[in-house]
Amino acid sequence: MDNTLIDVKDLKVHFFTDEGVVRAVDGVDLKLERGRTLSLVGESGCGKSVACRALMQIVRNPGKVVAGEILYNRGAEGGQAEIIDIAKMDPKGKEIRDIRGKEISMIFQEPMTSLSPMYTVGNQIIENILLHTNLTKEQARDLAIKLLDQVGIPRADRLVDEYPFRLSGGMRQRSMIAMALSCNPNLLIADEPTTALDVTTQANILDLMSDLQKSYNMTLLFITHDLGVVAEIADEVAVMYLGKIVEKSDVYTIFNSPRHPYTQALLKSIPKIAIKREDLDPIKGMVPNPFRRPGGCPFHPRCPQAFAECKVLVPTTTQLTPNHSVQCLLYENFANRIATEQKQ
Amino acid sequence: MWKYLLRRTGYMVFTVWVISVISFVVIQLPPGDYVTNLINQMISAGGEALPSDYEMQLREVYGLNDPMYVQYFKWISRIITKGEFGYSLVYKRDAAELITERLPMTFALSFGSFLFVWAVAFPIGVYSAVKKYSLGDYVFTFIGFIGLAVPNFLLALIFLFLSYRYFDQAMIGLFSLEFADAPWSWPKFMDLLKHLWIPVILIGMGGTAGLIRTMRANLLDELNKPYVETARSKGLTELKLLMKYPVRHALNPFVSTIGWTLPGLIGGEVIVSIVLNLPTSGPVLYNALRSQDMYVAAGFILLLSTLTVIGTFVSDILLAVLDPRIRLE
Repeated sequence: MDNTLIDVKDLKVHFFTDEGVVRAVDGVDLKLERGRTLSLVGESGCGKSVACRALMQIVRNPGKVVAGEILYNRGAEGGQAEIIDIAKMDPKGKEIRDIRGKEISMIFQEPMTSLSPMYTVGNQIIENILLHTNLTKEQARDLAIKLLDQVGIPRADRLVDEYPFRLSGGMRQRSMIAMALSCNPNLLIADEPTTALDVTTQANILDLMSDLQKSYNMTLLFITHDLGVVAEIADEVAVMYLGKIVEKSDVYTIFNSPRHPYTQALLKSIPKIAIKREDLDPIKGMVPNPFRRPGGCPFHPRCPQAFAECKVLVPTTTQLTPNHSVQCLLYENFANRIATEQKQ
Repeated sequence: MWKYLLRRTGYMVFTVWVISVISFVVIQLPPGDYVTNLINQMISAGGEALPSDYEMQLREVYGLNDPMYVQYFKWISRIITKGEFGYSLVYKRDAAELITERLPMTFALSFGSFLFVWAVAFPIGVYSAVKKYSLGDYVFTFIGFIGLAVPNFLLALIFLFLSYRYFDQAMIGLFSLEFADAPWSWPKFMDLLKHLWIPVILIGMGGTAGLIRTMRANLLDELNKPYVETARSKGLTELKLLMKYPVRHALNPFVSTIGWTLPGLIGGEVIVSIVLNLPTSGPVLYNALRSQDMYVAAGFILLLSTLTVIGTFVSDILLAVLDPRIRLE
């Protein structure tokens, strides 16, 4: 039985700025399985936030989804498939607005600024409920209190009338989660939800999220650059570099036998307290200027294993095992491609 | 909240008191007083210089020989206890009468201009921010800068010329001839409205342009804030989310402009009123200052400043109502 919730095929999101076109997401393939957690990992600026915003069509101007498909199966689990393509929807249209906040919802990185200080927490949660359900205001309020209680906010019946700026960062992020869950979404997108929190709060929020994921049986798309968080929460991992998914597999394979040199370097850069005090081992070089992307494999200027062909050939996806794929010439039989491309 | 209101009221009373002292002192700062002015006028009209003891007598009659703080004390205590503003030395009338006759007109004009400024600046400011760098934005920006750059008395002169040239009548004053001295009635009020829009637009022009820029800049700051993205991810329509979130946030500086728009409007009103011959306080205040008619001048300045202080107070209260961060501190 096909258990796919969202199937992203060759998604491209480009930003049309005055200085030129930035290819923030440049041909991404992703499959989100129902009830599973996919973690999207990468350095700042690799396009992971843009990619997940594209799933809800809330990419900021001047960004546009220019190609690809986002096939969303909105049918009930195990029931009749009802597949629609989000990529083709008008970002301002009613169709996508009915999905946002109801079937796909999102929590953001900055709990301090993601809630408006002008309205109470309750107001902002109830707004989402009233928008997508037929509940009355009183019922919506009761539901909001129930949700706040569920995400571990003490005295939820009183804090529902509190303004966000009177809550701590962790409490705000909990409120955001309550808001995102208010309509029982199929997919929850979390864009670095713990980055702005301190470490203890981080752990609490992560626990909360994986608990809620089980009880709501929802799919979780978790964006982060923190590999510690990935190890804790993810089922599958997709590693992103300069708008492309360079390696994709289950969490154990990624941590135990990473294949792409970028993934290997990322894992090596985690400081290990247990072993020995030595210098940090960062990935050498910087993420390239988005306007001057390197030709060939985008990672070759920083890659320790690069060879001559890496400068000219763009690697395609190589399936190593059924659930492990990588975009790297080390694993690709590219001899044929050189021949065909030279003919052209 | 109540504490805040109480504290603000205290500040307000103190501010008005300081203004009353300053306005009284400043008016007496130029050399000479009303009597010297009067004598100079008589001499220039061909009269003879008065004997100096007569001059002293005049000063005694008008109370000009007392030290300044005594004069101030007499003046302010009469205002507070009896509502008397003294005597106009030029018009030979009760100053309070003169003020009550003129001030409501000024107030109507300022309030009208203020409503005009807001009604025009708010939607255009929002439009300019949301459609940044569009043709409409450029057009409004262009008009706005002209409005900012051209002094409003010049606009008034141009308008006078045009109305005289093309409609064969000078659109001056606030009332038609038949209503000018008539007692207040509904038709007179309608007649006032018919005339009021011209000075309202002329006076409001500069303020509108400034406020459009303020609104545009504020809103541009807010449009990319994370809470806007949150609201969008809920599935709100663009218009609803725009009005509920970024516009609400951008409104704060907009509301606090009430305070500083009022004095600007009143200042602009003086010259426009002189050009258009409006029965407002501006021209009278101007004359009073020139001829050192101190009670009238001080009275006007005191009342206008009080109105401005009240305007600021109102804007502060509005801010507290609008923004929980201020209310809850």
